[in-house]
Amino acid sequence: MAAFATDLNQKDLNQHLGLEGYTSNALKLFMEHLDQQPQSRLLDVGPVCQENVRFFASRVSKHYVCDMFIRLDRYIRKGEPVSQIWKELDYHPESFDGILVWELADRLDEQDVNRLVTLCHSMLKPGGMAVVMVMGDQIASSETKSFVVGQNYRIYLRPQPHLDLPLRGRQNRDVLSMMVPFIPAKSFICRPGFMEFLFQRE
Amino acid sequence: MLKKSKKTNAEPKVSTSPATMVDRTIIGDQIFIEGNIRGEEDLLIEGSVKGSIEMKAHHLTIGSKGKVQAEVHAANVTISGKLEGNINATGRVEITKAADFHGEIKSKSISVEDGAYLKAVIELEREPTQKAVPLGKPETKVSPEPKKEPFILAGKDSKGN
Repeated sequence: MAAFATDLNQKDLNQHLGLEGYTSNALKLFMEHLDQQPQSRLLDVGPVCQENVRFFASRVSKHYVCDMFIRLDRYIRKGEPVSQIWKELDYHPESFDGILVWELADRLDEQDVNRLVTLCHSMLKPGGMAVVMVMGDQIASSETKSFVVGQNYRIYLRPQPHLDLPLRGRQNRDVLSMMVPFIPAKSFICRPGFMEFLFQRE
Repeated sequence: MLKKSKKTNAEPKVSTSPATMVDRTIIGDQIFIEGNIRGEEDLLIEGSVKGSIEMKAHHLTIGSKGKVQAEVHAANVTISGKLEGNINATGRVEITKAADFHGEIKSKSISVEDGAYLKAVIELEREPTQKAVPLGKPETKVSPEPKKEPFILAGKDSKGN
């Protein structure tokens, strides 16, 4: 698999995504799904940010946050095996109606991606949904960014300079093959190479 | 060590009334407390505390050196250190980028800085829902202009989901 490390600065990134951010159709559908669930439970694997905590915590019954980006960063800095981070996602099976994976998979190697997907599949309730983003090689950057949710499902990317994570750029087809246990519900092309995926557990 | 600090938010010469001076107790970084803490003034923890903390009308701050394992009931909570436990706050919870928090948060509002080390379950207090006025029953007060927009409950879509 090709790995990309095109270091775009924020200005370049905004030129690709538009300064005003972009409207996330996947997130809109995802939230519509959650709105229909009684006592909805959502897991966000990060990076944690103020705007998202407020947005999601006001929309779902219970908003679970387990920032796997910052955990991954700490494990790497300490020289500990990355495979150990999965003990942090120690939630019961079928706990969540939705999981926000964002672009975590792009920061993991093949083996850990498989572990992440298996865990997400287990933690989701039947019919539950997961959101996955792929930045693509045109706008992918080694600098980690949070997907900050604004009004009307607009998403802005904010650099997280405290995170130093490897980038393992994945193509759209790679995402579809890694998420094999799930049903691909919807996918949206936001910009060339930048896609949003909505997956559902049977 | 336990210390007493006074924060002034006005010129000290003018007044020392409670309105301008707030008492705060500090648990220093060399102190370890195991048990229940109840208080009627603000508290800053830089040491270690294990047990429960109840200060329903006051502000609890866990400083950058603080290590707390406790059930917390407070008006407002600021975390810059390590906290493992559940927070029940009637006001605001602030989690700074230096924080390491693991537990549940029930509060009216929350702020989280980028970089906070967080594993949490967050439940925010929701706006109380208003009873719908039955159809056909006129309002007692006459409004000069009819409302143009239908009333939509906060956090719900037009279908009521």
